[in-house]
Amino acid sequence: MPYLTQLVLNTPRLAAPAAKAATATLQPAFTVEFGARTDTGRVRKNNEDSFLAAPEMNLFVLSDGMGGLSAGEVASRLTVDSVAAHCRDAEADLALEFIGDKFAGSSPASNRLASAVRFANRIVYHAAHRHSGQHGMGATVVAVRFTQERMTVAHVGDSRAYRLRGQHLEQLTQDHSLVAEQVRRGQITEFEAGVSELRNVLMRGIGVESEVEADVSEECVMDHDVVLLCSDGLTRELSHCQIADVLASQACAQTAADRLVDLASQAGGLDNITAVVVRPTLRAGAPGSGARFFGKWFSGLAGQL
Amino acid sequence: MHKLVLQFENTTLKEMFVGRSGVKIGRSPDNGLVIDNRAVSHHHARVFPGIEGRLMLEDFGSMNGTFVNGQRVKMVTLKAGDCVAIAKHRIFVEDSNEMDGLCMWKAATKPDAPKMDETFMLATKERAEFLQRIAAEGEQSQIAPARLKVPTLFVRKGKTSHAEYLLTDQLTVIGKSELATIRLRGWFAPRTAAQINRREDNSFYLGAAGRIPRINGHPAIHPAKLAPGDLIEVAGVRLEFQYCD
Repeated sequence: MPYLTQLVLNTPRLAAPAAKAATATLQPAFTVEFGARTDTGRVRKNNEDSFLAAPEMNLFVLSDGMGGLSAGEVASRLTVDSVAAHCRDAEADLALEFIGDKFAGSSPASNRLASAVRFANRIVYHAAHRHSGQHGMGATVVAVRFTQERMTVAHVGDSRAYRLRGQHLEQLTQDHSLVAEQVRRGQITEFEAGVSELRNVLMRGIGVESEVEADVSEECVMDHDVVLLCSDGLTRELSHCQIADVLASQACAQTAADRLVDLASQAGGLDNITAVVVRPTLRAGAPGSGARFFGKWFSGLAGQL
Repeated sequence: MHKLVLQFENTTLKEMFVGRSGVKIGRSPDNGLVIDNRAVSHHHARVFPGIEGRLMLEDFGSMNGTFVNGQRVKMVTLKAGDCVAIAKHRIFVEDSNEMDGLCMWKAATKPDAPKMDETFMLATKERAEFLQRIAAEGEQSQIAPARLKVPTLFVRKGKTSHAEYLLTDQLTVIGKSELATIRLRGWFAPRTAAQINRREDNSFYLGAAGRIPRINGHPAIHPAKLAPGDLIEVAGVRLEFQYCD
């Protein structure tokens, strides 16, 4: 643990390691194409959003920082780097201990991602207490990791994960904000939440307390799914329909991410805007691939044996 | 910080905290506190923090007037315990300490930050109190109806690996894949037909994957919450959702 702390704190940005075979987790049936874009927006002086793409681990992380001066940037950078560092360490050391309790009924990959989020929380919390300029800093986090035919989503705060499947855009995460809690309990409507004075109040954050609980969920992955991670700077400016339109119409993940950020900036750009778009594609030759009827019939036959 | 509690015929409809820029009240949807009643003007009144943190009420020249403790007013100070009457609705003013910690936190952040749209955290004590209070007052219970019972899917039709499945995992996959929980045996069964997610509050949601499943005959394009007795149909298989001992 001390080694990891030092590693994370002394390196402003972790360089991606040389491609290493993922020994701990089975090679997923999908290849992932991704694109990402972050922008300060039109109002803020600096960009406190960070993201990290670790395609060798099929891991994508986004964080929106908060705090004085540049503390927000530090918090979000530390968050994404720590999540990736913990996952990387777990790949190298299969016996790496888990931080916090394991969820019953969740896969090892999900539990590892939850552990990574808790690890990031400890890193940011201690950093916040160590430096007077960073006192009170915190961040949100949303991370997805693909393994085999599943995807794990973990988050703390109000940065979101979405999935487009067919024509339907699904929000995969529930915001940890005060107004979202009020909506869930039937006290206010979604519209009221969007215009509420208190819409920026969070109930959970990374680095704010010594321990944090992450929400973790699992989803099956289908060919042609499009996954989006974004900070609230995007969702405050664009509607559900606009987001779905862009994700459905752009064949390339990078152009989708660029388009989303541009639209959000044009719509107002009141906050930092970040979009990470991930498109899983079934590997050729993986069971279930092959669009032809004959191929399907054949693999169906094979499945019976 | 002050809180407004909107009541109609002794039923609480809504509660709101009064922030820096106040709360506008009226029939129009662009108000902070919307009262959809013909006796209420579109922009009827507003409540806002005035000098020395006192709460002020201003009537915008409404047709039917605004009354405080029985008296018609134009501009007046409000205090905890006051009752504001607009048509047949009542708005009670309460003093709430639970947000004070929040206000202090906000004051501690840097002065050169943009004033609007700053994100901030509710501290532990305030958060616990807030959750406790709204839980006590909330209409719906968050606890699943049959908490001690085991959620189960019974196979009523179709070829699967088992006749019944306990929903113990966070993600249950229905399909022919080796990784599926409910393994389909049909020749043309899809690898991944549908999925069932267990959410934070222990409720279960049926979602589409390779197929759009039907729940009680209706296609579940959006994830559908499962209730005891619901019938799920997908890829030639029919499953019944129940809570069992």
